[in-house]
Amino acid sequence: MFESDRDAEGVRIELRALTKHYPGRPAPAVDNVTMDIPAGELVVFVGPSGCGKTTTMKMINRLVEPTSGEIRIGGRDVLSLNPDELRRHIGYAIQQVGLFPHLTVAQNIGLVPKLLGWPQPRIAARVEELLALVHLEPSDFHDRYPRQLSGGQQQRVGVARALAADPPVMLMDEPFGATDPITREHLQNEFVRLQKQLRKTIIFVTHDFEEAIKLGDRIAVLREGSHIAQYDTPAAILDRPADDYVAGFIGQDATLKRLALLRVTDVPATEPLPDPRLPQIAADASLREALDLMLAHGTDKCSSTAGVLSYATLCAAVGNRSREELVAGDR
Amino acid sequence: MSFGEYVVSRWGTLSLAAAEHALVVAIAIALASVIGIGIGVLGHGSPRVREGSIAASAAILTVPSLALLTLLIPLTGLGWGSTLIALTAYAFLPIIRNTVTGLRGLDAATVEAGRGMGLSRPRLLLRVQLPLAWPLILTGIRISTQMAIGIAAIAAFVDGPGLGNQIFEGLSRLGSVNSLNATLAGTLGIVVIAVLFDLFFAAVRHLTTPRGLRVRVRP
Repeated sequence: MFESDRDAEGVRIELRALTKHYPGRPAPAVDNVTMDIPAGELVVFVGPSGCGKTTTMKMINRLVEPTSGEIRIGGRDVLSLNPDELRRHIGYAIQQVGLFPHLTVAQNIGLVPKLLGWPQPRIAARVEELLALVHLEPSDFHDRYPRQLSGGQQQRVGVARALAADPPVMLMDEPFGATDPITREHLQNEFVRLQKQLRKTIIFVTHDFEEAIKLGDRIAVLREGSHIAQYDTPAAILDRPADDYVAGFIGQDATLKRLALLRVTDVPATEPLPDPRLPQIAADASLREALDLMLAHGTDKCSSTAGVLSYATLCAAVGNRSREELVAGDR
Repeated sequence: MSFGEYVVSRWGTLSLAAAEHALVVAIAIALASVIGIGIGVLGHGSPRVREGSIAASAAILTVPSLALLTLLIPLTGLGWGSTLIALTAYAFLPIIRNTVTGLRGLDAATVEAGRGMGLSRPRLLLRVQLPLAWPLILTGIRISTQMAIGIAAIAAFVDGPGLGNQIFEGLSRLGSVNSLNATLAGTLGIVVIAVLFDLFFAAVRHLTTPRGLRVRVRP
């Protein structure tokens, strides 16, 4: 995993019977977790506070040492590696960001590459590249200090810093948690776009199920002791929650959430040509937005550049449920 | 003889005493800083070292300086040795305490991010924790220095260097020629040294505080 970090796509992570038992506690914080995280996927750990999701994540870069069990990244046994060396090859972003206030944005981002002994010109080029990637104008932000940034800007720099040495694996603990809802939504959208490009293996911890659906290729719903209640794709979890615990996490509007997962272009158009008389929706909008538009206009059709979308198609896309059920869920 | 005439006529003695006074303080503070920051670094991770060192350095401060100097005579004799040891010992508390407070007061997220990025503990300490705690550590050193400048005057009692000799000499001959001038010259000299040291530390603080900590918080 370490030799080919440059432009590294993700590698597989395997957790085997991973357990963390803090001395003096009656129950283990993480109890016998076995899980495979496929290469290049973003897996979200979602669960209530204190369920052990963060502890599980921190064992992967050994900020928390496991009591027992095994961790493999790209086939290599993590517990046999030097922890500092290991961490330089795993991107790490946390909610409080933790930028170094005495270093400039560029120095913050360039720190890990510097530790890895990259030559200075390569570090400089990488910093520019990353600033552009997270939509911060390099010439403007390069020499600023963290205290001169807004919360959202700090989070971006935090993500850029985690990506700096192009690690195949990233661990992210509510990295957008400390921002206002608008900034957060914006950062999430950008992150989805970024991940499509980068295909890192990412473990993303959150307690926000909406965020999990939006970002995750897969979601692991965790309960106390980091026990896996369900581990599947967002669509499958919304469609077939394993038990009441998972259903409780999803909430009452599972169908609407599934609509949010699908794009207008994901379903067949009723008519292939756009109809200018109908309410207009962007082709890359979600079906949930399309439904919202129809409800707002009192129509059962709307149009995008990809053609006309009908309410019936929308229902069919989420599994032929009745109109009543779908609308009832909107409350 | 007026005070002005006294200072001019004794300029050689006075300036030498002042230089020695400043020197003995500077050496003591340098020693106390190196040792004190070292103990503070150990102490921020270990409650036993932390509590032990702070209790011990606080206990030293409760010993009257005259008593401590006297106790040192059989061990290190008269003069510079005893003076240096006493001043260093008195200087520990603010330095150790501020180092510990500075390191422990750092944002936990900054330290965690540093660990998570693969900074080893020594590197994290040198590159992140100490620079961020530095303004507070420097404040500790500054307080210790001011204290030491005052205490150094007492060192004349064990035949130590410095302006204390002027003061003691004047006091012991009170009423005779120039006794008041000597005391006054010693006292004012110490005030001048204290002000100069403080200006020095203000400059050091300005020059060594990382720029990122001085910048205005975002508008």
